[in-house]
This record gives sequence, C-alpha cells and structure tokens, in this order.
Amino acid sequence: MIEYAVFFFFAAVAVVFATVVVIHRNPVVGALSLVASFFSLAVMYVLLEAPFLAALQVIVYAGAIMVLFLFVIMLLNLQHQHEPATRPIQQFLGYTSAAAFGVGLIYYLTKYAVLQSPTTPFVAGAREIGVALFESYIFPFEAVSILLLAAIVGALLLSARAGKGPAQASVTAQVDARAEHLP
Amino acid sequence: MIPTHWFLILSAILFTLGVCGVLTRRNGITIFMCIELMVNAVNLTFLAYARQFHQLHGLIFVFFIMAIAAAEAAVGLAIFISLFHHRETIDVDEANLMHW
Repeated sequence: MIEYAVFFFFAAVAVVFATVVVIHRNPVVGALSLVASFFSLAVMYVLLEAPFLAALQVIVYAGAIMVLFLFVIMLLNLQHQHEPATRPIQQFLGYTSAAAFGVGLIYYLTKYAVLQSPTTPFVAGAREIGVALFESYIFPFEAVSILLLAAIVGALLLSARAGKGPAQASVTAQVDARAEHLP
Repeated sequence: MIPTHWFLILSAILFTLGVCGVLTRRNGITIFMCIELMVNAVNLTFLAYARQFHQLHGLIFVFFIMAIAAAEAAVGLAIFISLFHHRETIDVDEANLMHW
C-alpha cells in the first residue's frame, strides 16, 4: 500500500527532524529542521484529507512563522553564540519526566484510543471550511482578527529599543537620509 | 485508509519531543521552537479526530490555532529581542527581570 509507505516515511522524517530541533546547539539548524518537520506534517494533513489546511501549514507555518524565527536569529546574531550546557540535574529530570510522559501517553493511546477506521471518506475543502467560518464561527473569526492586530501593536512596542520609544523615524528623515547617498 | 491511532501516536511522539526540549534547553528561541512543535502535534490530533468523527469543527480549530500561533510567535520573539537589548543574552536562566 503506497499510502502506508508515505505515512511511515514522512512520520520518520518528522520525528527525526523534531529530534534535531531538540538536540542541536545551533538555533539556525534547529529552525531549518523545524521547517522540514512542518513540511512532513503537511503531508500528514494531506493523508488526513485536509488539503486546505496542508496548504495553510506550508504557507503560514513553514513560510511565515519560521521566516520570522530565522529573521530574529540572524538579527540577534545568535548562530555564533555558545549556549551554556544545562545543569545535569535539570537534564536528568527533564529527559526522564518527558520520557515517562511520552511512554504513558502512547500506552494509554494504544489501550483506549484504538478506534474503528472510518469507512466513508471525509473530504473538507476550502469551500466547506469557509462556509463554516463565516456562518457559525463568525464571532471567533472576528475576535482572532482583533487578536492579530493587538499582537502587531504589541510586537512593535516590545521590540523598539528602550528609551527611544516605538519606531518613530519620520518619513521625511528617512528620505533625507537616503538622499545623502544619491549621486 | 490509515487508522486514526497511528496519527495519534505520531502526535504523541512529537509532543513528547517538544516537552523534552522545553524542559532541557536554555536558549529561549529553541524553547519557542519546541512550543511550536507541541502546537503542531496538537493540530495533528485535531485533524485525526476530525476525520475519524466526520466533524468540521476540528478543521476550524486548527485554522484558529494557526492564527493564534502566528500572534504568539510575533509577540514572543519581540519579547526576546527586547530581552537581548537589555541583557545581551537570550539564556532563559538570565531572564529574571521580574524577579523581586
């Protein structure tokens, strides 16, 4: 079955690159591995018959959010910074508790969540999602748009240098500064 | 058709890796990437159950989670830029500005 081969291949890719994100010391390598992991998750979404969300995953996550991460890493020049090693006790406790959590989660999943496979396919394209979004989910949709606006304003305020206030360089000052370099 | 619980197990593995990274790393940006990994694992669970029970609500929730993750990434990275300007580091152990 080609479907199973695709599933196992991309599941392995997702897990391997997620492990690289957790282990690797260089954040640039981590960010690029996370992009690879998100791409294989998009393939999972296609297997789950949600092509619209797979496209969104590639565009929004692998495209926009990870570019933001890479921008910040490069802006702060973090790729050369040496990350100090975690304390051994924290490392030990972190790995053991995460492993216990994972083993417990998988144990209970295989014990209680093994369901009968659905017989009829359930394909939801952009049309169905759009209709639901603008009918029954119109209020959360508007709330999310306000939240995004608040996030933009908050990000601008927070990332401005302390003391200088938010980005206030006037347009005329920028034009003058550029004009000086012109022949 | 691939059984739903395989997707759930993959999602559990990815979520556990994210938890592991948040607990053991000190680089703030890496911790943030691990949080994104956990968010994506939850998205996979939502989609698996949406297909299992033929519900559109799971897909809509994934849509909203993506929007919220974008907002969260923007604000969180802005906080790290601000922290870097103050402390010249993004080591989360050094981030004790709200310490009394």
